[in-house]
Amino acid sequence: MPSLILRRFSFAAFTIGFVSIVMFAAVEALPGNVCTSFLQRFAQGPRLERCIEQQGLERPALVRYGDWAAGAVQGDFGYSLKKRKPISELIRERFRNTALLGGLAALLAIPFAIFLGIAAGVRRDRPLDLSLSGAAMLAMTVPEFVTATALIYVFAITLQWFPAVTIVSPGAGFLQMLPNIVLPVIVLSAVLIAHIMRMMRASVIDVMASDYVQMARLKGVPERRIIWKHVVPNAMIPALNVIALTIAWLLAGVVVVEKVFNYPGLGTLMIQAIYDRDLPLVQAIALIFSVIYVGVNLLADLAALALDPRLRRKGH
Amino acid sequence: MKKPLLLTAAIAMASSAATAETLRIPHELGFGGSESMDPISPQRFYEAIQTVYSRLVRQGEDGRPSPDLALSWEATPDAKEWTFKLRPGVTFHNGNAFTAEDVAFSLMRTQSETIDSPTKGVMGIIDHVDVVDPQTVKVVLKDSHADFPLLTMDYRIKMLDAETCGGDLDALCESGNGTGPFELVDLDALGTTTMKRFENYYGNRAGVENLELIAIADQDARVAALQAGQIDLVYSVSAEQVPLFAGNPGFTVQSVPSGRWVGLVMNTQEAPFSDPRVRKAIRMSADRDALGKLVYGKGGYIVSCDHPVWTGDQYRKEIDCGRDVDGAKALLSEAGFADGLEIELFVSDISEGAVKMAEVLQNQAKDAGIEIELVPAPADGYWGDVWMKEAFFATGWSQRPADQILNEAYRSGVAWNETAWNSADFDAKLDSARSELDFGKRKKLYGELQEELWETGGSFIPVHLNITRVLSSKISGLPPVEGFSIRYEDLTKNGSGS
Repeated sequence: MPSLILRRFSFAAFTIGFVSIVMFAAVEALPGNVCTSFLQRFAQGPRLERCIEQQGLERPALVRYGDWAAGAVQGDFGYSLKKRKPISELIRERFRNTALLGGLAALLAIPFAIFLGIAAGVRRDRPLDLSLSGAAMLAMTVPEFVTATALIYVFAITLQWFPAVTIVSPGAGFLQMLPNIVLPVIVLSAVLIAHIMRMMRASVIDVMASDYVQMARLKGVPERRIIWKHVVPNAMIPALNVIALTIAWLLAGVVVVEKVFNYPGLGTLMIQAIYDRDLPLVQAIALIFSVIYVGVNLLADLAALALDPRLRRKGH
Repeated sequence: MKKPLLLTAAIAMASSAATAETLRIPHELGFGGSESMDPISPQRFYEAIQTVYSRLVRQGEDGRPSPDLALSWEATPDAKEWTFKLRPGVTFHNGNAFTAEDVAFSLMRTQSETIDSPTKGVMGIIDHVDVVDPQTVKVVLKDSHADFPLLTMDYRIKMLDAETCGGDLDALCESGNGTGPFELVDLDALGTTTMKRFENYYGNRAGVENLELIAIADQDARVAALQAGQIDLVYSVSAEQVPLFAGNPGFTVQSVPSGRWVGLVMNTQEAPFSDPRVRKAIRMSADRDALGKLVYGKGGYIVSCDHPVWTGDQYRKEIDCGRDVDGAKALLSEAGFADGLEIELFVSDISEGAVKMAEVLQNQAKDAGIEIELVPAPADGYWGDVWMKEAFFATGWSQRPADQILNEAYRSGVAWNETAWNSADFDAKLDSARSELDFGKRKKLYGELQEELWETGGSFIPVHLNITRVLSSKISGLPPVEGFSIRYEDLTKNGSGS
């Protein structure tokens, strides 16, 4: 068992290492380099030479990758020429904000979605199920920037209950963030709820049709007890992977939602960095996103191991 | 759940009535939060500097220099020594008197190697500044410059308090202590920077009590914030965003001419563009008005004739450059391309509308027998790999006064001479315009330079871009003038209207 967990961990570490190589190589393959992208029209003569020297760009790519990777492991992602600040400093606050937004959305959406999924699955094909499933389809198919824009139009521009875009100073407390965070959390939650709910519903329906539920029914176990004791725990296992995947999806969703609401998180920072061609910053944020992605999947793996003894046998 | 929300809304409305005297302006976070209150810093906080500091000389309505902190000025006949008479009784926000010492300090520090200001090149013309008396300074130039007051009109050449800055010419001075209509209360470049009315301002008393500069880096977010009433104006919206506001009584849409231009550049030293007839033929084949409409929308541009001087500039020369396909064909056959001409044009999404402009020219030039093949270049590394490396490519420039742009882009051998324009005659005329003290004669000289660019130059500059500014209709006192000429003290806000 410990060796199994260790294997999962080392595999995750390998994935992150591989992703970092691909990312570094992709940035290398772009025309120009950090200095030309920063200096733009000024990228000529002594100014360019000075920048190249300061950035150590004359060294071979392999050495620079080693340096960068060693720094990244210790949380040092280098320096943003465009913003004139160490990247780790730029990222810290933004990371907190994104974690707040994503965390809150996940925290609200996951239990709610599981509950709705069970309700819909148990009342399969009845009006409650049909309306919930219909709403979920709608939430899944409408892109989040459309939902966000619609919410802004109704609640920020017409009713003026919430701000349309986030205007806060860095270091703003939770209470200051709160009114700004309501609409983005709703947008993110809507999609999360839709995905998780549908998976949970399908999984509940599967379990409801199983022999052991049939058996329990025949034995006269009350329906309520069947659902909570037998159906829900067994239906959770397949849903777990979907939850992990959706949380990973949240990372992409966060970029879009942050952009629409001008929310000061990693997503808007990433978009700014791309516009500015601030390559080291793009690299750093992409790496952080991939670490979160791999981390969440690793957690789901471990949770599944804990829930399902069959997975712990050799060969898995 | 509903009640508290409505309550919040009620509170929000009540507080908006109480803060009706606050003008809220977005700032674009161009330097990502490292914005500096030093006007000549490479990271100058443009929006804040405009309201906190004043210039010696400012833009008049005709584009000519008009008094600000200097009331009058005169030059010696060789245009080498300029004497400025200063406005008496002006104080800085901290109560210090504004004197000739401050002018000398503020002008000389622009040349500091340590600060490495973008203004260094232009102000390098100053040799030294003499304090004649507390209300008079004499600026001695290295070379003649008949338009020196125009240089001091630059939005970054603001007057600082020498005492507050410690008199150190090589140090950044970020105190925010100026003579402008608003004084700095709290600097928070990443959040909200606040200012209040300066009661001892020498000009009109500011129309609003407070001014807030709110950091919103994203263009779409600025537009949403304006719609939701979180800010009062957006300096520039795209053509696609105009319909959101046009016809809405809550907003005023202004079209403001500017000096920005996007162009296509031919290297005048490389075949086939080394033949001026070829260059002219390509430029003549364009229908500029149609091009402007297609690329920038109706009201988004003003037609120009391949010279970089914009309509708000006092030296702008109006030329007739209507489309002439037959003339283009004739020139081409004279140049030996009677059977048509095939050329490559390198474009990238580097400036607003650059790619679209190339596509439109490609279509229009076909009629004159010119086949343009568009070569898409990556925007990454464009300024190093394509710009000034290929023979025909796209470019984009921000607003500059006539003398500056002509010297920066067309003087032989200068770093950004993108057409490789090499004419001793042109350079000589630039020099003589600079030393000509008579305005009429000077204007004529600059006009001839522009005509020469239209006749033989390598730049295709079909239009200058207009800026579309949108403001809340609560705001009044903002005429459709370009950004550097806005008088923030004249803006008023009527908050009770909502």
